[in-house]
Amino acid sequence: MSVPTEHLLALAAILFAIGVAGFFTRRNLIVVLMSIELMLNAANLTFVAGSRLHSSTGAVQVDGPIFVIFIIAVAAVEAAVGLALVIALYRQKQTVSLDAFARLED
Amino acid sequence: MVDLLFYVAALVAVLTAVGVVLARNPVVSVVSLLSCFGSLAVIYLLAGFQFLAAIQILVYGGAIMVLFLFVVMLLNLGGLNPEDEDRDDPLFHDRRRSAGGLAVAVALGSASLIGILRGARHLAEPTNGLVPPEEGFDALPALAEAMFTRYSLPFEAASVLLLATTVGVMVLAKRQRSIPPAGEERS
Repeated sequence: MSVPTEHLLALAAILFAIGVAGFFTRRNLIVVLMSIELMLNAANLTFVAGSRLHSSTGAVQVDGPIFVIFIIAVAAVEAAVGLALVIALYRQKQTVSLDAFARLED
Repeated sequence: MVDLLFYVAALVAVLTAVGVVLARNPVVSVVSLLSCFGSLAVIYLLAGFQFLAAIQILVYGGAIMVLFLFVVMLLNLGGLNPEDEDRDDPLFHDRRRSAGGLAVAVALGSASLIGILRGARHLAEPTNGLVPPEEGFDALPALAEAMFTRYSLPFEAASVLLLATTVGVMVLAKRQRSIPPAGEERS
């Protein structure tokens, strides 16, 4: 593939911006968590683009892919904890709308 | 031809990402995000990282998205019964917060795009990319060697993190027994 690196980076930037938009505007807690996953994937794509830029056929730049693997592990952890919190909150309020959880005291 | 495949996958990724944010039904969001991750896996494959493409499909598609789908189904948020009480609920926050969030996203996105496109001429051309997919898992031995030598400490830390998460999630999701408030006699 001879796609220039900046196109990969631009795609990552667009995906990240879409994730930020979803994170700030949606009210559904689950969709907010999915927006976070989208942002993490944009970061992964940036790592892949950088690694591809710095490797050649003989010598692979491995730092990028390793970071991607760790990010995927942390993303899985984050999704598990986030969804457990969603379930705990749903038990309390019977809703996943963020507006219901705007006040810390209840 | 391969380049065209990249642009198709990029287009699909962007469209499905927009679909995640705009869909009313959370199930549609989940499936949309799944297709987004699938097209990202195609891009990883084209860039020469076959192993990353595989774990993108296995871990993201197989584990994380199923977890999301499971929670959506468990909480019955699919919007299957039309007389659900929050059918008319607004999808987004009120106008002021939404506009603020959208402004942040647009500013962030355009700033990074401008930076990328301005800095693009300083980027070296990738020599010839990585190995094409048909030549096998060439990047994997180097990846595994680095993972278990130079990065062995983060690797162990990740395993501790996973264990701690397993315990933590079980504590969080456990049905709370009615705990009597402090000072009261337990009956």
